[in-house]
Amino acid sequence: MTSIDLALAGLSLGAIAALSGIGLLVTYRTNGVLNLAQGGIATLVAYVFREMVVEWDLPIWLAAVVALAVVSPGIGLLLERLVFRPLARRRASAAESLVASLGVLVLSLGITAGIWGLGARSDAPSLFPNSSVRLYGDSRVGVDALAELVMVVVFTVVIGIIAARTAFGRQIRAVVDDRQLAELSGVPADKVAAAGWAAGTTMAGLTGILLAPRFQLTPYGLTLLVLETFAVVVAARLSSMPVAVLTALGIAIGQSELKQFTLHGDAGQILTVLQSNLFIVALLVLLLAVPKLRELGSGDSGATASFSSRGAPPSGRVSGVRLRRDYLGKLGGGALLLAPLTFAPSDLRSAFTVPALALIFLSMVIVTGYSGQLSLGAAGFAGLGALLSLKLANGDLFGLPAIPGIASMFLGALFVAPIGLITGYPAIRRRGLTLALTTFAVGAVVSRFVFEQPTFATGLYLDPLSLFGWELSEKAFYVFELICLGIGLLVVRNLHHGRLGRALLALRDHSEGAAAVGVDVRNLKLLAFTVSSVVAGLGGALLVHSSYSFSADDFAPLQSLLWFTAVVVFGADSAAGAIVAAAFMVTIDVLAPAGSSTLAIGILALALGWMPGGLASAVRGGVRLLAQYLADSFVDPNQRAPRPVPVRISAVGHLPATTGITGSTGIPGIGSTLGAARAGHYARWPLSGNQLGLPADAPRLTPFGASLVAMVEQYAAGQTAVARQRQATAGPDGAPRPAVPHLSRADAGTHPAEGGRA
Amino acid sequence: MSRHVLQAVGLVRRYGGLTAVDHVDLVAPPGMITGLIGPNGAGKSTLFSLLTGVEQPDEGKVVLGNTDITRMRPDIRSRRGLVQTFQVPSLFPTLTVADNLLVGAENRRRDYAGGLLGLSAQGRSRVSHSIERGLERLGLAPKGPVTQIVEEVLDSLGLSDVRDTIAGTLPTGALRLVEFARALCARPDILLLDEPASGLDSEETAKLSQLLRRTAAGGVGIVIVDHDVDLVFSVVDQVYAMVGGRVVASGDPETVRNDPTVRSVYLAQAPLAVAGQSGEAR
Repeated sequence: MTSIDLALAGLSLGAIAALSGIGLLVTYRTNGVLNLAQGGIATLVAYVFREMVVEWDLPIWLAAVVALAVVSPGIGLLLERLVFRPLARRRASAAESLVASLGVLVLSLGITAGIWGLGARSDAPSLFPNSSVRLYGDSRVGVDALAELVMVVVFTVVIGIIAARTAFGRQIRAVVDDRQLAELSGVPADKVAAAGWAAGTTMAGLTGILLAPRFQLTPYGLTLLVLETFAVVVAARLSSMPVAVLTALGIAIGQSELKQFTLHGDAGQILTVLQSNLFIVALLVLLLAVPKLRELGSGDSGATASFSSRGAPPSGRVSGVRLRRDYLGKLGGGALLLAPLTFAPSDLRSAFTVPALALIFLSMVIVTGYSGQLSLGAAGFAGLGALLSLKLANGDLFGLPAIPGIASMFLGALFVAPIGLITGYPAIRRRGLTLALTTFAVGAVVSRFVFEQPTFATGLYLDPLSLFGWELSEKAFYVFELICLGIGLLVVRNLHHGRLGRALLALRDHSEGAAAVGVDVRNLKLLAFTVSSVVAGLGGALLVHSSYSFSADDFAPLQSLLWFTAVVVFGADSAAGAIVAAAFMVTIDVLAPAGSSTLAIGILALALGWMPGGLASAVRGGVRLLAQYLADSFVDPNQRAPRPVPVRISAVGHLPATTGITGSTGIPGIGSTLGAARAGHYARWPLSGNQLGLPADAPRLTPFGASLVAMVEQYAAGQTAVARQRQATAGPDGAPRPAVPHLSRADAGTHPAEGGRA
Repeated sequence: MSRHVLQAVGLVRRYGGLTAVDHVDLVAPPGMITGLIGPNGAGKSTLFSLLTGVEQPDEGKVVLGNTDITRMRPDIRSRRGLVQTFQVPSLFPTLTVADNLLVGAENRRRDYAGGLLGLSAQGRSRVSHSIERGLERLGLAPKGPVTQIVEEVLDSLGLSDVRDTIAGTLPTGALRLVEFARALCARPDILLLDEPASGLDSEETAKLSQLLRRTAAGGVGIVIVDHDVDLVFSVVDQVYAMVGGRVVASGDPETVRNDPTVRSVYLAQAPLAVAGQSGEAR
């Protein structure tokens, strides 16, 4: 084939990528949301289209009309109404919108996989006849390519005219700049946003329908293909549509042109991979090369603080009660993790995945929850850890001698550190969206160039693990996994405590502010990425041993997205949340058909709009509200004087951008119970009277509280009497430890007034 | 330890064709308050970012003591004693007030690796914690210099009562104060304050100027950029007036106030007494 023929062959793919890019840009420029779900929606629509044509025998034109004029825009309108409008209403950060779109992606994947299964289908119908037109000489170009090109041109021109020349275009810009302000000026913001979503998802659907017949139709495969077209919008710096179109055509034609070369050896292998993966390589290169995307709004300051709202562990003294509660919680959790040891062998084997996955999730807690970086490349690190440890165990790495299984796991995980460090470098200057895409691209490139390559990832064998010559039984392996998880937890704990922990949280909360007081932002980011990659690597090594095989699918780039969503759903800053998330996903996948966990995570992710901070935060908030409710039924809330705030409150001042923190300002006179409940956590309202330092008659009890106190005191008095009696009978030496007077003393201390009155 | 002088020597910063800062020289000695005034677009903010290290100059250098810090990152400058606050208070909203101050106090060192292994002095284990508590009961509480500084600053700024409040829940006035406290905890030689009075009412502003005087009396040099001309003129020891990227007048407040260029460009619209009220609306 000549260069021209190859270029013509690449045109169609380029046009489809351009359409995808246009869709992404339309959504982004109208809503400020980079729709990561584009791929999932494209796949869903492609499946629906195939279903209508192949299973229901509808004519292609009718199916196309239904898919593109009803289903696709319908999805967009639904998403806008149910997911993204609430987020925009509460001025959620770009990071939150990103996570919401990840949730949609995961949900659409879950739906597709749930209905049609994960298997590949090669009978996706083509929208255009499979014929070609002769251009000149022998060069022919497909009808599909021509039609797609025409669509690209028409869409670009029409959208360009709408954006630049019409009142609607002005309204779009106003809405994107400041939605609330635009509404105050009479712009129908919701309609504008909805139109943007509908247009974006329609383009997504079109992309899916056009791509499906060119490749096999699989939920994950097609989604990833669409995600690769993000290279196009990065080149366009999220703004210029013509640049996006030209880049799409350029990369596709370039990829096609590569087919005329053949090389031998390692270079040849790389070339072969490039011939079908130029988009993903371009994505990574462009992300590293493009200095700054033209992000809407203020970019992404405060990156992830909004969904990891918990602060540092207390640096001062910890009360005994709290310590005991902490230990109780940890003991309970530990016992639950040990429970699988009593399971039947097959169930135990399923449970193997839990600690492994939990470690990978912990790695994301480190980067995202504690240091505030959006990282979507965990699967890459995990896979590398797995691969390196396997190769070490096989004596197949850099000529190193074979190393026993367990040592090879730890060593393999450590070998991931340099890669984590390198990935951390882009994070120094990038954050939010750009960083998320960069880490995703790293994961995807590693997956394509390493995990999927026969030279790297085949011919590996898994020896049973042994320790001091003893082969580990299944139970012993599970215990070993738990020990690894314990090590991971220890690392996480150290990263969250003391000076290091505070410095990381400072970095997460406000990186400029942290730098301003000397926090070494650069090295801390690198540290977080490096440590996180090692933890993920260890998790990956365990994952391979628990599933008895290395499969590139286990560490596919989309896994990172799914895992990340799971971590955020269960609380990005919660180590316990990471373990619960792992247990949750494994349990669902064992009990329900494969892919159900994806669906469940997707549904939970969409609920993030209503519970920022994830499940862990919601649980914490629930406990707090319950405690407050109990306290309110005990002490009359209107009688509880709020804690005085010594610093005068400025009436002019606005509350600064402390997103994600629900709490009152501590303004005296908040009477409301809920306000008090919220403030309760942050301002640490002491519930007992004497700590509050109030005059003795301040906390007036509710009738319920009064009767409760009376009951307790009656009981205490009775017990004291009993104890005294016992003491009298037992004599002065053998007296049992008088626990009861202690109780009554504590009670009297807490309610001095009531004690006097009762 | 003697404190360092901050000097800007021939600083130039251009954006395309626009020269935002045009050969500016500035000296901010310790123990003195230096004000930076000028109308919008005069280049104050750009000069400020050049001093803090957020931006790099095209020409000239920034010197702290005897060290050229022109190419140093903001965090390194901070560790060397050049600490800034922001126009919008930049606290760590999920940390308590005390922890915010601790972050300020404890980051003159960079060795974070010890903390990772659980070895850091502040990353106390429960055991050392309980030992400490025991000592405390005996009246032998070992307060490290870091904790001590935090306690002192909390006390002297009257923040002890909010020490355990999560910073994100504080009102603006308090946020400014806590941010200032955090900067003090970093033991600065020179404090760079970007519009510290914005968002404060007149009473709070008065308190702020007292606080600035007190701090300077303690030997800290302060550079203050603010639109509140009254505040600037009431507290500063010396003023630099900028117009169009250049310093047009400098010296003690009285000299600058009476400088003809300053009067015509910046203060002309209103009599001196009410200049603050007619300052640019923000």
